[in-house]
Amino acid sequence: MPILPDTEFMAWHFMPYYDLPENIDDYESLWVDFPNKYFDPKKGHEYYERYLSELVLADKLGFDGVCINEHHNTPYSLMPVPSILAGALIPQTKGKICVMGTPAGLDHPHRLAESYAMLDVMSGGRMEFAFPLGTPMEYWSSNVNPVTARERQREALEVIMKMWTQEGPTSHSGRFYNYRYLNMWPRPYQQPHPPVYLVGSGSPGTIELAAEMGFGYSSTFSPITSQLAAQKTLKERAAHYGHTIRPSQVPIVCMCYIGDDDESALAEMEPHVRYFFTTLTRAGRFIDAPGYLSLEEFQKRNGRMLPSSHGGAFDWAQIRQQFRVVAGTAKTVADTIEKWAEEAQTSRIIFQIHRGNMPHWKVVRTITGLANEVIPMLKERRRLADAELSVAAE
Amino acid sequence: MASVLDRTKAALDGFERQEIEINGINTVVYSAGSGEPLVYLHGSGTFAGFGFARHWVKTHRVILPYHPGFGESADDARIESINDHVLHYLDLFDALGLDQINLVGSSLGGWIASEIAIVQPARIARLVLVSPGGLVIKDVPSTDLFTVPPKDVSVYLVADPAVLAPFMPEGHDLDFMTLRYRETISSARLVWERPGNPKLDQWLHRISAPTLLLWGEGDRIKPFAQAETWLKLLPNAQLETMAGVGHLPLDEQPVAAAGIVSNFLNESPAAAKPAARITKKAS
Repeated sequence: MPILPDTEFMAWHFMPYYDLPENIDDYESLWVDFPNKYFDPKKGHEYYERYLSELVLADKLGFDGVCINEHHNTPYSLMPVPSILAGALIPQTKGKICVMGTPAGLDHPHRLAESYAMLDVMSGGRMEFAFPLGTPMEYWSSNVNPVTARERQREALEVIMKMWTQEGPTSHSGRFYNYRYLNMWPRPYQQPHPPVYLVGSGSPGTIELAAEMGFGYSSTFSPITSQLAAQKTLKERAAHYGHTIRPSQVPIVCMCYIGDDDESALAEMEPHVRYFFTTLTRAGRFIDAPGYLSLEEFQKRNGRMLPSSHGGAFDWAQIRQQFRVVAGTAKTVADTIEKWAEEAQTSRIIFQIHRGNMPHWKVVRTITGLANEVIPMLKERRRLADAELSVAAE
Repeated sequence: MASVLDRTKAALDGFERQEIEINGINTVVYSAGSGEPLVYLHGSGTFAGFGFARHWVKTHRVILPYHPGFGESADDARIESINDHVLHYLDLFDALGLDQINLVGSSLGGWIASEIAIVQPARIARLVLVSPGGLVIKDVPSTDLFTVPPKDVSVYLVADPAVLAPFMPEGHDLDFMTLRYRETISSARLVWERPGNPKLDQWLHRISAPTLLLWGEGDRIKPFAQAETWLKLLPNAQLETMAGVGHLPLDEQPVAAAGIVSNFLNESPAAAKPAARITKKAS
């Protein structure tokens, strides 16, 4: 089956800092307490220039939008404040910008609502926002209690939605937040509010919250089967709350690389995925924060915080089976994307266009191949199918 | 499947187990012995059992409650501050018909005990604080256990890790892990944002009971030098120290440590001393 009508294609960057010391494998964790003396600001400047240029290129070549996200205390990501990057991208791009995003409870919710509304007005309504709970590592890097993080997130989202959708001045009285005068200037450009998603790793609580609030939902680092199950649950639970989930609200995320042929493309991609999983994601004991999992979930996972794909030896075949990873010619990639999109009934494809320590030329090649070949191929197949349908109907 | 927690439970063989509903929280209390009541408030980990409490049974009615969210007592998200624990215990003491008590608390239990004694000083006959938490001492900071890698926790807790070895799981022990996860959550509710009560020093003067501070000289969690601050702030306190002992004197040297506590509890009351001290302070 061809892609759904109006399918949109996004380019997501993780912006890692990968000029790391030779003995990097001596460090149990590259998160939370990994010494920041290894951050060289001059190199950091070059990284920002390069990474922003890669996202701008994706926009120029015709991607529908770009995505950025947030992490703290780690070379895994140079994006502790993604709104700043969005602000830098606005004048350089024409498409959508998805900030995927600041955990609602890790900032003051009124300030987050304001930052995001500013971006929406500045961009003329091109913004989308995804709210994660944040990894356990983000809680080690902040003063917010992970034990009550979920309740705090829910209330912070209530504050943000209230500010975006209700006429001000209004007020809020809750357990974590009390505001006498919520009265935002500016209000968001998009009405009633910019598109909102929750992103997570498949925790039932997050899916339920998205369903209740009628938000989109996507999980990145859970196996495909549990991602599909999560999105199925989302649709069912959302219906229970009177919301209909549209195909654009259940994005899929793909790690993608374009090469000359399937074999060489896989070989060219592998070292960077390996670096990503064995080095950049390594978080040692900080993968566990008190109360981050409910007791039931902790027991269900047999006392392990993460699925077995994390922390073990790198298994390229298993990674490719578990997650949406594709490398090859434009045709191979298009065929695979088509299959994944159909299986997930989604009209939103997010490409992770950079992985681990992938050099600039490989990223440019992938962005170019996706924009010039894969995406047009997918759209053309859709157009042809529609044409056949209309011929058949005549 | 057998869990190492069977050994934790076995430490209390011979004690009577009671479940009491306190404001909706199923609270488990072990007790044994007769005489004046001695309530023991445990620290933030209960896996080592309370075997040392046997030494007090000869002279006292020993009462060992589990805090909400710890050991065998139920979890309750409403218990999220030391004040909640204090009021829970005042409810529990009322439910048990305890009027005046001797109160012994270790580490987190010492913090709760001192806060109880601040709120109801007359209720406490004698107070024992074993390497207590709660006080925030800038010059002698405590070790934040959350910053200690799990594999090193034992050597921070005790001078000789062999003391805890019998209570450590040998393989994958989900019951043990679940207990530790629960108790870490319950502790994090209290101390994730701040390590103690920054205002405790303002109120310790209210404690009128004769107070024993018991401290291991090798304590790596609450450094021994903190005892000096407690001694200054408590109107009627004395200090006993133990050499070669870390943060858990009662677990590390049960006979000696429980003996020091017994001797203190069995001393005849120092007549009018608390009152005299308080008068002096007030002038």
